[in-house]
Amino acid sequence: MQRETRVVLLVLLLAGGALYLHTTTTTEEFSRHNIGWNGTSSLPAEEVRDLSRLDPGSTLLLLAPDRPFTPEEVGYLRAFLDGGGRVIIADEEGAANPLLADLGSEIRVRPGNLSSLERDYAHPGLFRGYVVGNDTLFAGVETALLNRPAEVEGGEPLIETSVLTWDDVDGDGRVGEGETFGRSVVCAREGNLIVIGDASLFINAMLPENPKFIENLQPVQIDAVHSRIGSRNPIINTLTWIAERPPAVAAIAALAILPVAWRFGRKRE
Amino acid sequence: MRPRTSHIILVAAAVLLTLLLAGEAVDPVLYAAENISTAAHADPSTIEKRSPGDAASVIPLMDELLGHTGTLALTIKIKDYESAQRDLARYSELTSQFDRLVVTLDLSETDIAEFQKNNRQNQEAMAALLNDSQRLDELQSLEIEVLDGDQRMAVVYEGEALRQKMRETYTAYAKREPETTRIATHYGANATPYQESVEVLAEVVGAAEEWQVEWQDGNGTSAGGSGGVAPRSPLNITVTPREGRYGENLTIGGRYVDGVPGTPLTIYVDSRIAGNTTLDENAAYAYPYRIGRILAGPHLVYATAGAIFSEVATFDVLPAETNISLAIAEVNRTAVACTGNLTTEDGRAVLNAPVLLRLDGETLISTQTDGNGTYARTLILTGGEHTVRAEFNAAGYPLNSSKSGVVTIQVRGEGLSPFPFIAAIAAALGAGWYIRRRGLPPEPPVPEEPDIEPPPEIAETGPSVEIEGLPPRDAATILFRALRERLGIPATKTPRECARLAPDHVAFFERYERIRYAGETPTDEELRAMEQEALERDD
Repeated sequence: MQRETRVVLLVLLLAGGALYLHTTTTTEEFSRHNIGWNGTSSLPAEEVRDLSRLDPGSTLLLLAPDRPFTPEEVGYLRAFLDGGGRVIIADEEGAANPLLADLGSEIRVRPGNLSSLERDYAHPGLFRGYVVGNDTLFAGVETALLNRPAEVEGGEPLIETSVLTWDDVDGDGRVGEGETFGRSVVCAREGNLIVIGDASLFINAMLPENPKFIENLQPVQIDAVHSRIGSRNPIINTLTWIAERPPAVAAIAALAILPVAWRFGRKRE
Repeated sequence: MRPRTSHIILVAAAVLLTLLLAGEAVDPVLYAAENISTAAHADPSTIEKRSPGDAASVIPLMDELLGHTGTLALTIKIKDYESAQRDLARYSELTSQFDRLVVTLDLSETDIAEFQKNNRQNQEAMAALLNDSQRLDELQSLEIEVLDGDQRMAVVYEGEALRQKMRETYTAYAKREPETTRIATHYGANATPYQESVEVLAEVVGAAEEWQVEWQDGNGTSAGGSGGVAPRSPLNITVTPREGRYGENLTIGGRYVDGVPGTPLTIYVDSRIAGNTTLDENAAYAYPYRIGRILAGPHLVYATAGAIFSEVATFDVLPAETNISLAIAEVNRTAVACTGNLTTEDGRAVLNAPVLLRLDGETLISTQTDGNGTYARTLILTGGEHTVRAEFNAAGYPLNSSKSGVVTIQVRGEGLSPFPFIAAIAAALGAGWYIRRRGLPPEPPVPEEPDIEPPPEIAETGPSVEIEGLPPRDAATILFRALRERLGIPATKTPRECARLAPDHVAFFERYERIRYAGETPTDEELRAMEQEALERDD
């Protein structure tokens, strides 16, 4: 092979790699296709799309849900909970409140801008919460690093903030007029239903911060239909669509192999 | 692959790569990822880590302060004044620590600041009660020794003054208890020792009043009073007006019945000497007291003339709002001058007061107002954008804290250093000199070179060859080399290449090629002709 040809192939390989990375990844918040700090590509979880086929006794994570649940889906979740399954809802925007109400739960997520004076980081929204309840999810965990969490009302408290925490309404990072210190619950439980007011616990950048919690979570299935883990990128969605359909994968493979086979065949002749 | 095709593919791939990477390459995050955050979360790996030490110590310190009030009250009650002084010193030290925390953590607008203010007042009350209790004990011991009527009355007057003072101090102390307890309980601090201290101090004050009554009863309370009622001191005292704000003047005055004009008097405010004055010709006195660095609330004042104590008068200091301004001017590329004024709401300058400049929301720099309420401080800053805010924390003043607006400044910083450029130029010059010294690789000969061969001189100095007695084919080789050398053709060239380079000698080189490669043998005649051509002889 000529030297020039080799260089061309190498550059083409690099360009192809860059093009592939560029088109098959995203920077969308919580996306499984986001390999950056705010994606969930590194979260070890099996994606499920059909809530009627959940394994009884398993754990289902609804991560930052942003799509409504139909009455049938709520029914499946209820049945799953009654059958001993565990549902973890991680939400900080309050979008899960209608589902919580439909499930008959008293727990609610109250969006806000919780900040703490007692923190390890310069960012006021990045602070530790203290485990105050008993649950296998927090076995061996005393504190959890929270990332701009929301307050959770109702249920049995599992994680509380320090008393030097406030809702920074004006977002200036300091306790101003009308803002008061006080403890807030950021994770609560009602039977097998756990609500965490901090979906950020599951992003790539946070996984190393709370390793024991992530370990306790396993094995976990993640609802890929209602959770905000997808992408709006059409290329990604097309590739995902193909990957989920074996005949389509076979067709693509054939399309790739046929030209090569034809070329080799001609050469032999 | 055709060169043209490969070049097009290379250029297309390079353009594609450049376009894909350009978007990322211009992103500053690639070079200095710092404080990356979105509305939902922050990237912990890019956020500066810090110790939570200061904040973590707020609640334990509140706990410790409250605990100290209980211990201190008990030691005062059991009259262990030595231990009480030690406890008070520790309590004062912790109070100062807490004051600093409130400033450092910027808690001036929280209920923790309210707790701080109450605690500061409690500490002063404790100090006053300790001193007064100690003095009252000394008076009790004097009770046995005093025989003289005047001395006895002096003891009565001072004892009464102390009783009044202790009562007033205690009342103010007890009044702060509900609010302080509420705040402490909210933060999970143990307020029980503090609540107990209120009860214990009530006993201390009660005991002082009982002793005073017993002493007066036991001594017949002769000086103008009936049994159980304190006699009036001949040194009376009033404060006019009864209340004021920071910077206003109050007049502390009165008369000393039977006092001699010119008698020196000492004025005490909250048991501390506020100043001295003398009786005028009417046995009256008037001392102008300017309200300065003193806490808002009720204060006690009394006067002494030798051993004679006046009664205790009170006055109130009312809190006032403050305004602090901040102006920033550039001094040079790295320095800015921060100046401003600190005034009360009615425009009075706050003198010699501490001012803090909070730089970039974190770093605190201290300065102070002068006699006109103006402060000035020069800050040396790194290049880039900075924020500065001036703060007056009002600790110990009858004033409310104030903050200026946040001023954002752009500091140019040190200009680009010329050294990297000088180094780069020096490196380039050095590299050029080195390459030149090593010499450039020899240029390949150009076809025209034979045309510019130096004609006669080279011929004269051309190589001399000796072919006599050699086999004809070897003789031809020597002649070929001689001609090649004379024409300046490199020794690596073949006869055919030589023929191309020197078209005038084509016949020579072609003949030699046949001799060399076809195995032909030259005749003597041919050799002579070749010799003539090689050496360029005409004979």
